[in-house]
Amino acid sequence: MFKNKKNVFWQALILTGVIFIFGLVLGMAFESSRLSKINEYYAIAEISLMDILALNSMIGLDDANCSILFNSNIEFADKIYEEALLLEKYEESGKMSDSIKLAHRKYDLLRTFLWINTIKLKEKCQQNFSVIVYLYEYDPEELTKKATQIVWSRILFQLKQEKGNEIILIPIAINSDIESLDSLIEKYEFSDFPKIIIDNEYIISELSSIGEIKKHLN
Amino acid sequence: MEFLTVVYLVYIFIALYFLSLFALIYIQNKKNLFSQKEITNEYSLDVVIPCYNKEKNISKTIQFLLDSDYPYLKKIFVVDDCSTDNSWSIIKKFARENSRVIALQTPKNTGKASGAKNYGAKFANSDLIGFVDADSYPQKDAIRKMIGFFDDEKIVAVTPTILVEKKEKFIEKLQSIEYKIIAFTRKLLGCVDAIYVTPGPLAIYKKKIFDELGGFDETNLTEDIEITWHFISKGYKVGMSTLSRVYTIAPDNFKEWFNQRVRWNVGGIQTINKYKKTFFRKGMLGRFVLPFFVLSWFLGVFGLSVLFYRTFQKIIIRYLSTAYSIQAQTVILTLREINLTPNVLIFFGTALFILSLSFTMLALSYSRDGGSKKSGLFGILIYMFIYLLLYPVLLVTSMYKFLRGKRSW
Repeated sequence: MFKNKKNVFWQALILTGVIFIFGLVLGMAFESSRLSKINEYYAIAEISLMDILALNSMIGLDDANCSILFNSNIEFADKIYEEALLLEKYEESGKMSDSIKLAHRKYDLLRTFLWINTIKLKEKCQQNFSVIVYLYEYDPEELTKKATQIVWSRILFQLKQEKGNEIILIPIAINSDIESLDSLIEKYEFSDFPKIIIDNEYIISELSSIGEIKKHLN
Repeated sequence: MEFLTVVYLVYIFIALYFLSLFALIYIQNKKNLFSQKEITNEYSLDVVIPCYNKEKNISKTIQFLLDSDYPYLKKIFVVDDCSTDNSWSIIKKFARENSRVIALQTPKNTGKASGAKNYGAKFANSDLIGFVDADSYPQKDAIRKMIGFFDDEKIVAVTPTILVEKKEKFIEKLQSIEYKIIAFTRKLLGCVDAIYVTPGPLAIYKKKIFDELGGFDETNLTEDIEITWHFISKGYKVGMSTLSRVYTIAPDNFKEWFNQRVRWNVGGIQTINKYKKTFFRKGMLGRFVLPFFVLSWFLGVFGLSVLFYRTFQKIIIRYLSTAYSIQAQTVILTLREINLTPNVLIFFGTALFILSLSFTMLALSYSRDGGSKKSGLFGILIYMFIYLLLYPVLLVTSMYKFLRGKRSW
């Protein structure tokens, strides 16, 4: 009698196991479909970057080429900024695997490329635009830092909405383990983050309002 | 995978397991849930009513027992535990007017229902002994429908469906939902010999076994849980008669409700402590009931800690970012920050909610009281999302009180 009754406990365990595994597999499939989408975006972004690099390497830039190069950079920066926002959402809701975090690193590498490219662009062309690089810490443990970064992102988001094509906004996570990025920011000798670098010239460590960024823009 | 995600998945797995368990027990025993055992033996029965300051309810309780249609109910021992109100006079009046009612008074106040119950039990001389709380009203056929279960030699205790008498205040309505769900799950647990309590509103035991085990443990705050565990630890079984109904008065304010639940939980800890050596041994007590109790404690307390940690963290971040946003004159919340992107935890959560809601509705449909209206969806949702969430708080409070040495009512 006891044995017969005990069977139901095992049956429930098997049933739960089946439902649970099915749910996990479904969850993983769902997250991997989102990752595929991000990877697809990334592949396109990579092509755009290669295109920009090709344009950049053209000898004897005239005003017309500068304009094309500038527009390509703006378009590319906006595109990967939008994708960064999407990626951020996916990262927050991604629970099953860390692959999406790897995608974040790949995007940080792309943004580092973009930053290097805009430095060259600024040197070669006399276009009237500003490059804002936002260096932040990915998933900081300190709550105050987390809150600060939330507010800085909001301010920069608001600025981008206002200024549109007048600025190139490049947010990069500094702890993505990217050598080129590390050597790029090494010269600034930053001891803590977040930081905002405007046109590789002005550095903002304390941000009290949007006006503080605006006053350094071209 | 993050630690918290693993924690959530473990909780989901356990919740799914119990839902599957109850669903399977229900499917396999659907036809027997309302089965009634016919009376084949003329078991004599004496009933003990412990009473302390229940002048408002005691008459009704005695009257309901006198109206019982069980023909072999011999004596009703009403034990006054030195009440300070008018209870004793009422009991004596009943005793004068009805020979079946025996008025008893403890030499001094015992301070616990178990004290008065054991005192009354000494006077009983019958095959079966019943205990009825002084604020509970067994329906006319309740006892008769329970008796047939005792034909099974292994069954030494039988419990009925307990429902809430008054459902005027919202807290009483919530308890009404809770009692119905408890009655349904208790019946399901009965199908696997895992009933873990024979509650005070009405419980009937085989007198010989009750005496052999020494009656109620007067050091325990929940003698009704303790005696049931005592029975099953000895290899006996507990039956439940779904068709027998007893209505009881539930607390009508938060403070009273909270104190009652803390007392139940402190008693629960005392019982776990007493029977801890049977863990994973001794049939259903050690293999299911005890691990189930311990697991619910652990999950409740750990879950509450995680919830507090997460909420506290979120509040601090929200406070800091809002204060900074105001200072920086920027927006305090953007649409993009409201993340509604679905993920595996949301899928599981939604599935669990739907399954729990279905289980609750099923339980309520089975325990619907004759006179009352259906429980509203609003009440059910409040029960699921607020009332049940208070339980971990009760557990922590009870643990604190237990450690501080609370052992009295």
